[in-house]
Amino acid sequence: MRRFRSPASAAGIFLLAAAMGLAPARPAGAQERFRRTAPLPDAQRLELKLPPVETRVLANGLTVATAVRPDARVVTLQLVIRAGEADSPPARPGLAAVTARMIGKRTKLLSGDYIENMIESLGAGLSADVFMDYTVLTMTVLDDNQLPDRAIYILRLIALEAEFAERELGAVRRSAFWELYDSKKDPEVLGWRQLLGVLFDGHPYRLATHGEEVIKYITPRDVAEFYSRFYRPGNAAVLVSGNIDGAATALKVASHFGAWSGGAPAETPAPPPAPNDRERVCYVEAPEIATPTIFAGNVIMGSSHRDFFPFLVLKQVLGGTTRSRLFMTLRETKGYASYAFSDMEVFRSCGVYWARAQVKPEAIVPAVREVVREIGALAATPAAPAEIEEAKSYLIGSMPMRFETSAGFADWMARFVALGLDQGQWDRGPEEIKLVDVERVAETARRYLSARPVVIIVGRPEWIGSCAGEFSAIEVYDTGGQLKYVTSKTGGGR
Amino acid sequence: MRKALRVPVVLAVLLLPVLCPAGQADAVTPAPLPFSFENYRLGNGLRVLLVEDDRLPLVTVAVGYSAGTLREMPGQEGLAYLLENLMFQGSENVLPLQHVAYVQKVGGTLNATTTADKALFYETLPSNQLALALWLESDRMKSLAITPAAIRLTRQELIDEHKNRLASDPYLGTFAQFDALLFPDGLYGHPLIGDGQAMSELTESAIVDFYRTYYVPNNAVLCIAGNIDSARTRELVARYFDSIPPGLDIPTPRRPEFRRENDAVVRFAPIRAGSAGFHMGFRFFPLQKGEAYCLPILEYILFEGETSQIRSRLLKHDLSARYLTGTLDERLSVAALKIFCLATNAVMIARSQRGILAEIDRLKTNPVSAEAIGRAQRRFKRDYMDRVSTNLGKARYLVDAWAAGKDLDTLDDELSSILRVTPQALAAFASRYFTPQNRVVLEFAPQ
Repeated sequence: MRRFRSPASAAGIFLLAAAMGLAPARPAGAQERFRRTAPLPDAQRLELKLPPVETRVLANGLTVATAVRPDARVVTLQLVIRAGEADSPPARPGLAAVTARMIGKRTKLLSGDYIENMIESLGAGLSADVFMDYTVLTMTVLDDNQLPDRAIYILRLIALEAEFAERELGAVRRSAFWELYDSKKDPEVLGWRQLLGVLFDGHPYRLATHGEEVIKYITPRDVAEFYSRFYRPGNAAVLVSGNIDGAATALKVASHFGAWSGGAPAETPAPPPAPNDRERVCYVEAPEIATPTIFAGNVIMGSSHRDFFPFLVLKQVLGGTTRSRLFMTLRETKGYASYAFSDMEVFRSCGVYWARAQVKPEAIVPAVREVVREIGALAATPAAPAEIEEAKSYLIGSMPMRFETSAGFADWMARFVALGLDQGQWDRGPEEIKLVDVERVAETARRYLSARPVVIIVGRPEWIGSCAGEFSAIEVYDTGGQLKYVTSKTGGGR
Repeated sequence: MRKALRVPVVLAVLLLPVLCPAGQADAVTPAPLPFSFENYRLGNGLRVLLVEDDRLPLVTVAVGYSAGTLREMPGQEGLAYLLENLMFQGSENVLPLQHVAYVQKVGGTLNATTTADKALFYETLPSNQLALALWLESDRMKSLAITPAAIRLTRQELIDEHKNRLASDPYLGTFAQFDALLFPDGLYGHPLIGDGQAMSELTESAIVDFYRTYYVPNNAVLCIAGNIDSARTRELVARYFDSIPPGLDIPTPRRPEFRRENDAVVRFAPIRAGSAGFHMGFRFFPLQKGEAYCLPILEYILFEGETSQIRSRLLKHDLSARYLTGTLDERLSVAALKIFCLATNAVMIARSQRGILAEIDRLKTNPVSAEAIGRAQRRFKRDYMDRVSTNLGKARYLVDAWAAGKDLDTLDDELSSILRVTPQALAAFASRYFTPQNRVVLEFAPQ
């Protein structure tokens, strides 16, 4: 499906429809009355009710959490380590991700091939996802023939007895290198990485913006040190969800992981940086991309803050769907962009919002101006009640979808446990959103959108000419995030 | 099983009960379809399938039409895709793009897709909005507004966006070229949109004819899956769809007529950027009864997981490839295994191809071990269960089965049949179809 149309098509079709009436392709007689208007919803109560997460902490500090989903035919087993990209040493960005990938590659007694064979004999695979503040190792197996019990055993084996050698590290470095190398052709990845790099300059969160070039410096010793520092029961959680007996499963996990020793590392999370508040435009030169992409964003609060749900609504008003302000302005009205949306992501201590748009090369500057204007407009003038109600309706209606799959449920559970969120963040989101009103959204907008967002433009080198003289200064970067030069409005460059 | 390099014998014996790969100990438990569904037809021929699942307050409505690219006549390439997009441009009671707006307003998501055998439209939304989805789908089935302006603008946007995609993905164009080689038949091998020339020349009457012929209830299936009440849903379906008139004289889809080559077809395609690599494909045609059950297990043995034969060989041992996928392409009455490989460098293309062919030859000469089959079947079953765990997954499964002409009453046995595939059946299949005559290779490298 091609989802969007140009503004010209919108105008053309609306005018034609208004002038002539829509001409059905199939000859029809008089239609039934009920077809003329959209039906009302049923009075059925829509309640998101997730199974509770039962949590206990073992004597060694390990958190064990279970969630029973009787209708699921698979069981998901996760080891959560409360250390992520931001915990890599400043001199070794990427170390958290490489360490996570090294789990399952070798133990003190077993080779990587043997471990792989054990895991895949269960019909499972092992995946490692590394986020800003935490890491998740996941295995998913069928719920039959004691496969979950075997998976728990294997997880214990590979996580607690991991060993790191150059042979396996070489292979991990190779695959990580190619993934990072390929990702540099994606303007969305480049834009996101640059935005984080600028907003979190000097902050540990900047470590998540590394490219492929740093991977080659990571040694087995680095991995072993990171592992020994963070892969400890006091800093970890084992999560099991699916068609399980919760209590019995928790006991099995406890019996396998109870002897694991080591407390939580003494880490103090870095405070969030101040939001950007000056005009700052960065241009990432990406010779291989086909279409320019722009980002504009800033630092916001974390997910436990009282402004979280109002901001969620605000983000939706700004650019949540094709009916939101960014899309309507940049694509439908101005014709600058093929799409324009907004997103937000929250970490342990703070979050980030950003607008993103794929634009025409000749429309880079006006598109940037419109995005910044739309963000500022929400801070200056409260959103209309109808906009807010539509945003709330979308958020409440769409929220259950993320829990349809076992993976979606497990990801949510891992985030919930890793970030130590309260029950309100588990399945009471719809209730919280219902309480958001116009005033709270306006107040939140003033608080977070008044500051000028950082603008990132990802484009080919030859497109930068259209931006010259349009901004007070443009910082020009390469795809690895290295500053190449700065151009100023007066035409100087350095 | 690969040898364990570092397991002392004594320890291995002690740990045997838990270390023993599951495939050696347990057979994969056969399973019926993990959900039940109601299946009936309206008076106008519309097939209706209902699946109740009350875990979440959601419902998916999917409408499939037997109106894929196979329905296009020579010179009409792109027509099916164009019509799929015109379905969002308004109908008698829904203004252009309001379909999207109505669904998004209540928090729903929607999409559509066109394949060789069908055009599929679906939306997932809060279950109290079921009537809204049925109203929207019935309105465009009954009275789509096909206007010259909508045709002109939609067509231009599709062509422009396709050009954009071609510009941003150096490999995209090779996929269409490869399909044309793999399915050397005018209808089966042509791409969704091509260069846009044929789409540009489509007349309004051809588009309207296509809609009137194929977008009719007796050429469609409506599947509703989610938190629904069966009786109430039947009422709503009758209300919105019963009075839509059936179509007349729907042509039977033509079966392919492939040219038989004497040896593998090998071609070269220059690309603008990227890495050197190749597509390799095997065509399975005509498939005999029951042979289709071998296909997913073969795919999993060869390509799914780090221990799968071809992935393991090329990516871990030979180090001749840096990216590799192998997927099944099942079309009406024909299937194919399609391999896409980015070599570590241009020299490694030949080595990667040799590695793939050697692993395939192993299938013919050395029966796959029970352990390897068990592993593939267990993984397949897990992925299958995961796929049908969502409302959309269930709906797509049923619509796909309908479009493939499967007997919906026998779907209950399908998974079990796949889980019963034997090493002998796999070896026989491999010998019969993995032949040079069925093989196609398209190599590519930067200009």
